[in-house]
Order: sequence, then C-alpha cells, then structure tokens
Amino acid sequence: MSDFGFHLAFWSLAAMTIGGASMIMISRNLIHAVIWLVISMLGIAGLYLTLSADFIAVVQVLIYVGAISVLMLFAIMLTPRAERDNSQTAVRTPAAIVVILVLISTMWVVVDTDWGPARDGALSEQARLIGESLIRHYILPFEIGAILLTAALVGAIALARQDDEDAAIHADSLQRELDGESDLDPADVVDPPLAADVEANS
Amino acid sequence: MTIDLVEYLGVGALLFSIGFYIALSKKNAVGVLIGVELMLNAVNLTLVAFSRFGSAEVALSTQVFVVFIIAVAAAEVAVGLALALVVYRNRHTISVDRTTLLKG
Repeated sequence: MSDFGFHLAFWSLAAMTIGGASMIMISRNLIHAVIWLVISMLGIAGLYLTLSADFIAVVQVLIYVGAISVLMLFAIMLTPRAERDNSQTAVRTPAAIVVILVLISTMWVVVDTDWGPARDGALSEQARLIGESLIRHYILPFEIGAILLTAALVGAIALARQDDEDAAIHADSLQRELDGESDLDPADVVDPPLAADVEANS
Repeated sequence: MTIDLVEYLGVGALLFSIGFYIALSKKNAVGVLIGVELMLNAVNLTLVAFSRFGSAEVALSTQVFVVFIIAVAAAEVAVGLALALVVYRNRHTISVDRTTLLKG
C-alpha cells in the first residue's frame, strides 16, 4: 500500500516537473513562463523528498521558489518596453535536432549502463552532516563560495545601479516613451524587425 | 516495477533536454536564463538520486556538491539578470536576436 503511495507520488511529481518545464517551452507570455518555472521547481523539491533528501528539498524551495523566481519577475518588470513575448529564435530547428541527439544519447546511457545493485541508503540527520562536512572537509570550497556570492552580489548591484543624473534622464525619457511622445526616433533605439521575426509572426 | 535510480535519471535527462532547448531557442534573455536554471536543476536531481542509490561513500559529498551548485546558480542568475537590465538600458531590448553589436 505504501508502495502504491510512493509510485503515485513519484509519477505525479515527475509529471509536474516535466509538465511545468514543457509549459515554459510552449507558453507565449514570459510571466506565465516564470510561474510554470515555480511549479516545475516545486515538483523537483517533491522529488528530493521522495529521495529522502529533506535538507536539499527545503533549500530548493527557499532559493528557487522563493528567491530566484521573484528575481526573474523583477527583471521582467524592470524591462517594461522589452518584448513580453516568450517566442523563439530562428535557430529553433537546429536547436531541436541538437537537443534530440543529446536526449537520445543520455537516455541510452541511462538505460544501457549497469548501475549495480541499488543501495537503499537515506542519510539521517542530513542538515547536521552537511553542515559539519561543509566546515570541516569542504572548508576551502565553502569560503570560495562565500567570496563568489559576495562578488556576485556587489557586481550585480554595481551593474544594475545607475548614477543619479542618468537615472533622472532615463526616468524622464521612459515616462515620455510610455506617454507616447518620445523625442527619440524609434528606429534609433529598436532595430527594425528581423526578417526571421516577420516570417515567424506571419 | 519499482521506482529505482533509472527512473530518476530518466526524469533528469528529460528535464535537462527541455532546459537545453529553452536555453537555445528562446528569444528573451530572461527566457534563456530560465532554461539554464532548468538544466542546473536536472543535474542536481541526478546528483541527489546518486546520493540515495549510489555507493555509501558518495552519499554525503554529492549532497554537499548540490548545495554548492545551488549557490553558484544563485550567483549566476543575479549577475545574469543585472546584465539583462544593463543591456535593456542601453539597447531598449533584451532580445538575443537584436543584441548584435559584436556581429562583424
């Protein structure tokens, strides 16, 4: 009976993950794509729970569902005149061929390899074990990771912030653009549509 | 049939392929970043599956590795989105088809 429950959990979580990812591929609206990303990430967190990796599952929910998706929504909303549409570039046919080749080869490796007898070993007290090994065995990577995160945060702030003067000009021109009375020639700021776009939209 | 390592690896491979296709084919820079995130998550899922079903020596180190991957992915997405914002400020578009300043 519990075996049936486990099967149900695995297959529904796998369907949630893969379905969410496929909806990102299909959906036309970028905001919807981020919402589907959240659903897919929740499915992966559930799959971590079925693998009894509870610490990783909680970290997944906190960082991906909580932080990264909100960051992406902010990035979308801070680029108001960019295209909302989640359409695809002209290289999608070669991309699909490459991806199908990658999928076939990885699936072949997965099915063909003899993975040996399965060990049913869930770690107990994972948070304690991971924390201890982070500050004992993996102390150098841990410190490098700390420096990386600090550098990334400072770099992101330095890139994204603008000088006060620039900010005033930018806000002014953006307001006028939104009001529809731009003094810039639209052809200067946005390139004319690519031939591939026109073809794809027609 | 039992749910075993192979099923988890299959889900991981499928998710990696979908993420790869999204990263290659999306026009919007944020869409490309979403695809990269999906690929990183597929790798994490594979590592956690190895931690559960693989040999006992690697059970802990794979999970620590997953924590590092999540940290690096968070740094990557923060810098990537800041770059998208700067490109938008200068070019008024974040479509990867139209940011062609380096094209000869």
